[in-house]
Amino acid sequence: MSKRKISRRAFIGEASCAALGSMTLYNSLVNLGMMTTAATRPHIISTPSDYKAVVCILLAGGADSFNFIVPTETSEYAQYVATRGSLALSNSATPPQLLPLNYSNNGRTFSIHAGMSAVQNMFNTGKLSFVTNIGTLIEPIANKTEYNSGMKKVPLGLYSHSDQIMQWQTSVPQSRSAVGVAGRMADILQDMNSIPEAAMNISLAGKNRWQSGNETNEFSISNSSTAATIGYSNYSSGLSNAVYLNDRKNKALDSLAAQQYANLFHKTIGDLNVTTSESIEVFKVAMSNLVPLTTTFSATNLSNDLKKIAELIKVRSFLGAQRQTFFVSYGGWDHHDDVINNQNVMLPIVSNALNEFNNAMTELGMQDNVVTFTISDFARTLTSNGNGSDHAWGGNSMIMGGPIDGGNIFGEFPSLSLTSPLNLSNRGLLIPTTSVDEFYAEIALWFGVSPNDLSYILPNICNFYSPTCPAPVPSGFMPIGMFS
Amino acid sequence: MSKNFVLIIYLLCTVALAAQPDTVTIGFGEYHGVMVSASSSHNYPPETTLKQDGYLPNLNASSRFLGQATLGYNMEDLQEVSEMGIEDWIDSQFVKPIPFSLKNKVKDYHNFVKTATNTPAAGQIYRMWSYAWWQYHMASADVLRQRVAMALSELFVVSDKSAFGGNSYALSSYYDVMLNNAFTNYRDLMEDVTFHPAMGVYLTFLNNPKSNPATNQFPDENYARELMQLFTIGTSKLNMDGSYVLGTNGQPIQTYNNTDIAEFAKVFTGLSWADRTTFNRSAANDTSYTLPMIMFNSSHETGVKNLLNGFVVPNRVPTDGIADIQDAIGNLFNHSNTPPFVAKFLIQRLVTSNPSPDYIERVANVFVNNGQGVRGDMKAIIKAILLDPEAKSCKSGNDVEYGALREPFVRYVQINKAFDASTASGNYRNDMDYVYRFVQQKPLTSPSVFNFFQQEYQPIGPIEEANLVGPEFQITNAQTIMGYVNSLYRFVIQENVADEYDLYTNEDDATYANEVSTIDLNDEVLLTDNNKLHILLDRLNLLLAQGRLTAPSLAIIKNVVTELPNGTATEKRDRVRLAIYLIMSSPEYLINR
Repeated sequence: MSKRKISRRAFIGEASCAALGSMTLYNSLVNLGMMTTAATRPHIISTPSDYKAVVCILLAGGADSFNFIVPTETSEYAQYVATRGSLALSNSATPPQLLPLNYSNNGRTFSIHAGMSAVQNMFNTGKLSFVTNIGTLIEPIANKTEYNSGMKKVPLGLYSHSDQIMQWQTSVPQSRSAVGVAGRMADILQDMNSIPEAAMNISLAGKNRWQSGNETNEFSISNSSTAATIGYSNYSSGLSNAVYLNDRKNKALDSLAAQQYANLFHKTIGDLNVTTSESIEVFKVAMSNLVPLTTTFSATNLSNDLKKIAELIKVRSFLGAQRQTFFVSYGGWDHHDDVINNQNVMLPIVSNALNEFNNAMTELGMQDNVVTFTISDFARTLTSNGNGSDHAWGGNSMIMGGPIDGGNIFGEFPSLSLTSPLNLSNRGLLIPTTSVDEFYAEIALWFGVSPNDLSYILPNICNFYSPTCPAPVPSGFMPIGMFS
Repeated sequence: MSKNFVLIIYLLCTVALAAQPDTVTIGFGEYHGVMVSASSSHNYPPETTLKQDGYLPNLNASSRFLGQATLGYNMEDLQEVSEMGIEDWIDSQFVKPIPFSLKNKVKDYHNFVKTATNTPAAGQIYRMWSYAWWQYHMASADVLRQRVAMALSELFVVSDKSAFGGNSYALSSYYDVMLNNAFTNYRDLMEDVTFHPAMGVYLTFLNNPKSNPATNQFPDENYARELMQLFTIGTSKLNMDGSYVLGTNGQPIQTYNNTDIAEFAKVFTGLSWADRTTFNRSAANDTSYTLPMIMFNSSHETGVKNLLNGFVVPNRVPTDGIADIQDAIGNLFNHSNTPPFVAKFLIQRLVTSNPSPDYIERVANVFVNNGQGVRGDMKAIIKAILLDPEAKSCKSGNDVEYGALREPFVRYVQINKAFDASTASGNYRNDMDYVYRFVQQKPLTSPSVFNFFQQEYQPIGPIEEANLVGPEFQITNAQTIMGYVNSLYRFVIQENVADEYDLYTNEDDATYANEVSTIDLNDEVLLTDNNKLHILLDRLNLLLAQGRLTAPSLAIIKNVVTELPNGTATEKRDRVRLAIYLIMSSPEYLINR
């Protein structure tokens, strides 16, 4: 699904809720082609080689990411073991449970889960970095005292899956009705793509909030879809005039969908049916032009999803695409139980899939044009509930690709002591020290969103970029510094 | 299906609403412009018969009602409701027995395989659960229970995307809880769910031990949180009409915080398998899932637990974990949020996505008190939902905000019901894997405890702009939209309505052949001549779409169907199939209203 028409009134209403400055609103409207005088679009200066894509891998369920990356400096590791108890990974076991990262900062050293040897290799060769203690925030919260003061705005429904998984995708933790970050980026940038029927945002995981915009919807595709299998099922050539009948049948389907309906539900499903039919025509042609990749992928769903993405990147010219986002979901991380055994199975799947995708981008010569990262609902309690952990807050993400300053640990890796001022309870729930806003801001700026439009993508960003907001963000001012 | 049915009652309410928006009340059976398009052996009076508190519904009204109260229905069902009246029909459904339990059906299949293969150790397979579910829903008359049970399975969600995903005993036994409690009391349902090992495993409170502060180990919070957030009270305080109670700052008020969750988590400790004598063991075998969990008091958290609204679970000596759990269930069952929370959920599942606050409040009030002082009476709640003027009022036809996207799996059942899918032996088997592949819905296959879709989901576009919700749109994307249309191609145009497979390798072909479903289009193929096509379409419009397809849509469909030849029996059948395919693809069908 690509575009939907939106009334300007509705758009401004949404924008006002997002507390945009008038200057920024003007810019966004210009970019959206809503102003008749929109002759120039300063940030859309692109050449055919200026292709960029971001790939978001959602580890759905709230991954226990304080076992993805573990501090190994002697006293920090001892603290990790004391707090995590039965969930702690050993740094002396055989076979190893932890793999060292080639990284040291003021004596702090780290290892990663032994299931992620490919990630270890990519980290050590500068292709991948971690972002630590990152989470949903409306504004910075320095410590438990500030959190309890009632003076700081706190995300709605903290520790709840449905809220936190949504807020990681919207970056608007004060709202349950906000649209998504990639959706907002598509609102502004989709005109860079030359075929309106081919959505900028493509999902391998069905509907998702991250890719829902004010004006744009995602296009959903399955990793098993091929040129031959997508599109309407048709009468076989056994019927004498099958071609004609199929054309009539399919036109009737489209006509039924395209009628003018008064009822909002009729209208919504009708619009969806029409845009689906149009989009699929374009994707069918693109996929029929695919020359298979030579990179091999594992036989996992996640690897197959990333393979499909690599294929779509390969045929991007048939989709008229200068900018694309892709969304993948790998679920099953809600490890209230048996977290050690489950991660031993699941992290190699993630690690190998990331590596294979990186290989595919290299094959396509697109390694400097694509950025891939992981998100999750939240991290889990540092303490155990027996052999699992419960819902918490700040966690750890991975980000991969040529544009990234690889081999780094960004953000502030927190103390894992239960007496840390960031810890909110005896369970070990950490206040994030890096916001989802800051993370997406750097990705959005790299992707081509102009600094003036950043507040449209991330309505709370000025709570983190003070004091220069709402004036344009100075180029190069990047608190995390993920992009080299 | 009745062989002599040819009567079509044409109701202005559904096709010419603009002309008569306020005077026609569909559920109470006033009809304007009744038109008989064909003769019939039945003799329908032009005037309705006064009965109970209203009139007998006409056929379109019956179709609309059955679209809310069942997963699918045929022409006889429509006639039955028209003759009985809605309330009598509901009462007749309440007393229909549960013919068999799904878990016993699974056991039958399992024994059949053991015997047929002469392998006493043969394992159960996932397919047995699917077959049991389908057999029940095709062959049993308790269709209201079936509809309500499916709604409940989308509230108290467990899924085969879990540790017991391949275990037919676990899935069938859990679904039995939904069927058994569709007409009991909400509290009974909460209890049966809480003690069911499928839920215990799904939300990880089976083998949940008490605290061990020395090792920083605390009770698992999973069930404590979701029981509150998803199954009873939700995250924000509600008024009886479902709206948020606002605090002095104008913001919604949290119903609980993380401390409350930790307190509830203490309650749900100490439960484990009923066929184990010690705590913290794995399941003894597949059938362990059919036994309610039992309490191991030595693993239950001792001490007081501070629950909601000042309720305190006492420090019981000796420890009595079951009593603690009963207290916690009671605390949530009696919470003021539970009636509007459950009322809104069930209205959205059965009737419309955006019920008015008054509608929610009317149903919530019945949850609080069924009229005889009983709280949580499911029969009263169901009646309140289905007999409400908002469920039946013809104004819905004119209200641009009224309606709900039909759940894709329900559409699938409807095909099988509307056209009397039958087998030679009367035994059905259906793996339901094609429908799942096409539309990503099938009972107990939700991707997470948050169901296939969430109640507050807003699709972008006109629904969202009006600040309304459309839950079912959450599983409506390019893949499932195209998948649905192509599923109609398979199920209807190719008449491949069910997925029948062997129960064991090299199963006897004769048994298999006797259990292949075929649909009955005999009444329809009589109506495929060009001069009768309008009658065919009227009939299908009534049967499938409550007469909601408008003249322009019917014209589009008729024009294409006319393109197909109409000579041989197969050609006539092709015309019918295409008509069904197009009707069931149309927006006016897809929205239940």
